Amino acid sequence: MGIGMIIFDIVAPMLEFISPLLPGEFFPYYFNGKIEMLQRSLIALIMVTIVAGFLGVFLLIQNLALIGDGLAHVSFGGVAVGIVLGATSPLDYALVFSIMAAIIIHELQSREILTGDASIAIFLTGMLALGLVILRVSGGGITSDIHSYLFGNLLLVDENSLDRITFYCLISFGVLIVIFRPLLACTVDPLAARVQGLPVRAIGLLFSIITAMMVVSMVKLVGALLVTALLVTPAATAQLIGRSFRSCLILTQIFGLTAVFGGLYLSAELNAGGGSMIALFAATMFAIVAIVQQIINFTIRSKDNIG
Amino acid sequence: MQSITINAPATNVLDIQNLSVSRSGKVIIRDINLSIKKGEFVGLVGPNGSGKTTLILATLGILKAQSGSVSIYGQRPMTSGLNGKIGWVSQAAANLPKEIRLTVRELVRLGTLNSRNLFWRNRSGKESIDKAIKMVGLEDVQHTDIARLSGGQRQRAVIARALASNADFILLDEPLVGIDRDSRNSLLRLLDLLCHNEGKTIFMISHDLTAIRQTAHRMIYLEESIRFDGPSEDFPDLDKLADLRGIEPVHNQDGTHHDHSKEEE
Repeated sequence: MGIGMIIFDIVAPMLEFISPLLPGEFFPYYFNGKIEMLQRSLIALIMVTIVAGFLGVFLLIQNLALIGDGLAHVSFGGVAVGIVLGATSPLDYALVFSIMAAIIIHELQSREILTGDASIAIFLTGMLALGLVILRVSGGGITSDIHSYLFGNLLLVDENSLDRITFYCLISFGVLIVIFRPLLACTVDPLAARVQGLPVRAIGLLFSIITAMMVVSMVKLVGALLVTALLVTPAATAQLIGRSFRSCLILTQIFGLTAVFGGLYLSAELNAGGGSMIALFAATMFAIVAIVQQIINFTIRSKDNIG
Repeated sequence: MQSITINAPATNVLDIQNLSVSRSGKVIIRDINLSIKKGEFVGLVGPNGSGKTTLILATLGILKAQSGSVSIYGQRPMTSGLNGKIGWVSQAAANLPKEIRLTVRELVRLGTLNSRNLFWRNRSGKESIDKAIKMVGLEDVQHTDIARLSGGQRQRAVIARALASNADFILLDEPLVGIDRDSRNSLLRLLDLLCHNEGKTIFMISHDLTAIRQTAHRMIYLEESIRFDGPSEDFPDLDKLADLRGIEPVHNQDGTHHDHSKEEE
């Protein structure tokens, strides 16, 4: 039994326990275990959202908000190469391609050869084009399989995928916990971190690798086009109202998980796509928080002026 | 750590010999010879592009030198023996990334990390953090987001991060930029106190000649090579400075030296 199914056996009873409390006609199916596949998707989604939230807080500071999008398209190129080469598991290719791209993007940025968004743009378009060209030349069009890599399919999480996603999440989470403090130091001020004797390069490398691993896991779930929604939107919402790094981390998790549950609920009840509904929910939360914050700031300022 | 100081030339914190650094084929600084003793407060001045930051980055070992040698406490830069002995307040430090929410305390805590103490909290950490925050006088705002501080307070917070490692040798690159006159004066008083009461050695770049001349013990004028190195009292006036640079002084009719002071900025 793989690691994913171990987690599944632990978490599934908890989900079943709370399922009677949940609203909606179809939403509780994600919890109650009548359709195991939906439970698997939910568990995978929760794990990915938690780890992605932590990554997102750092990516935002590093000005790499779009790296998720970039790597997701790179992994599409990898998948295409894998399919053409007849790989049984094209996502392995996606992982290798994404890790390489993440490392190169990181190196280009830290050596000040290119800014983060420029190198992301180059990789995104270059690898997406490679994928499309390879598929066309080899004779296959965009099949439904490839469609699901672009847009994700929450319902396609079989036991194997769950194992794989769990494995990536646990590794990434473990690495993050260990390198958390030096990573923050390197992100805030890389030069000062080097003077302090921190292994800035090694930390950056590790962070790139786990980012790539998480993006590949997310592609499977929400698809290449919506990875950024889980990676960046919750963190961006949190930094609007957070007052410290710690509070930002906690708020990111709250916003991320709210987006997952809210998005799944709406998608189940309205019969809309899960991934896109989650992304929409996250973006709406961002908008509401930003607007409310502006209104509050405005009222405080005008009060100050009167007083 | 005792053995390190015994091996080193007894009182020199920094020894630079015949240092030359080029960047993309162009010589930025050449033949720099410089030693700094413990407890000195040295101001490094010079026009834009004269190599001040290059000199500091080469001192720290971030830039590779083409020739010459640098030793800090008798060791090469960036070696593990120097862990936590050097505090660095970079130019960029005051412009921390915009998308970050970080309290003063959280920032200062990052200063306690070094290659031996990388991953886990060490026990003495909390004390060093408290001490560093107290030294720069930011106790009242220690749980405030840095983005909400004034420029002067933010600069103090970054200095506190450098102090948190208990560093004895503190290098600062233009810490006075972008802060108002009052904060500038109190920042200089703080550095002066650190030097006199805490025995820190300070090496500081500044374009603000007047301010640094009041506070530093010793001034270095750099323009590719060192043109002046001596006590602050002996540092030439602005019109004589032109002689150092080998250019004709430009006097205004009324005898002020407006053009020179402008050049220094």
